[in-house]
Amino acid sequence: MKLIIRRQPAEVPTASMADIAFLLIIFFMLTAVYSSTRGLEFAFPKDDPTQLNVQPQEAVHIKVTGEASYVVDRVPMTLGQLQAYIQQKMQQAPDKPVIIHSLPDVPYFAMIDVFDVLRQQKVKNVSIPTQTEIERWRTWGYLE
Amino acid sequence: MRLHREKRVQATVPTASMADIAFLLIIFFMLTTSFSPVKTSVDLPASVERAEVEQNAAIVAITAQSEIVFSDGESPGENMASPEDLAPYIQALVKSIPNKQFVIKADRVVKYHVVDRVLDQLRRNGAKNIGLLTEQKAPPRS
Repeated sequence: MKLIIRRQPAEVPTASMADIAFLLIIFFMLTAVYSSTRGLEFAFPKDDPTQLNVQPQEAVHIKVTGEASYVVDRVPMTLGQLQAYIQQKMQQAPDKPVIIHSLPDVPYFAMIDVFDVLRQQKVKNVSIPTQTEIERWRTWGYLE
Repeated sequence: MRLHREKRVQATVPTASMADIAFLLIIFFMLTTSFSPVKTSVDLPASVERAEVEQNAAIVAITAQSEIVFSDGESPGENMASPEDLAPYIQALVKSIPNKQFVIKADRVVKYHVVDRVLDQLRRNGAKNIGLLTEQKAPPRS
């Protein structure tokens, strides 16, 4: 008697591979934390305490006094007014230095808002003095 | 005459290439993902103007509670008790790479004096190239 052997073709079951792969994608997407890699850049001038890199009297002096309150060259302004003021100053003198002086208790974003306006207006010479420098300027009589 | 019945082909959705597509996507995500050494979660301030910060820049993270975490860009973040503790780390980095970029990743609501003390330390210890991380803000409508 002759036996009939039915041979089934050999194959690797791959039907669930797509499910596994998509599960992995969903897992990575849900657990990923997106971090920003962009921001505002600036450079510190050479630290020489005997010399002033920015002459405070010639510069536009922006004092950040609160969340949305700014005193620009002793005049209180809103962010919109500040933008227009800087635009006008830059048209007159594109190299004019601008000093951002933030009071210690203002939130950080208030300073960033001002810095962003200056970057938008393509201000080249931005100075962000630290409290130590401000004290130094006060000693020299450049600031009140 | 006897009619031959047409052989019916079973209706199937071809899914053989699905796995290939999915694995390609996984490989793409794995290659384009960059791992940040500082995992501190902060709510960044927003700005319209933004420039790409350098890869492997040193990171100083400041949380809303004024906690400071420092990383040289490669090793994981380390907690600092005060901004003054950053000095030896900054000095060592500036000594080996004079133009090393230092990126400040500060929470938007943190009081400015904390950021100011960090900036002061960076300046005193010879850092020149600073970046302030921000989120994208929609440009104002003119």
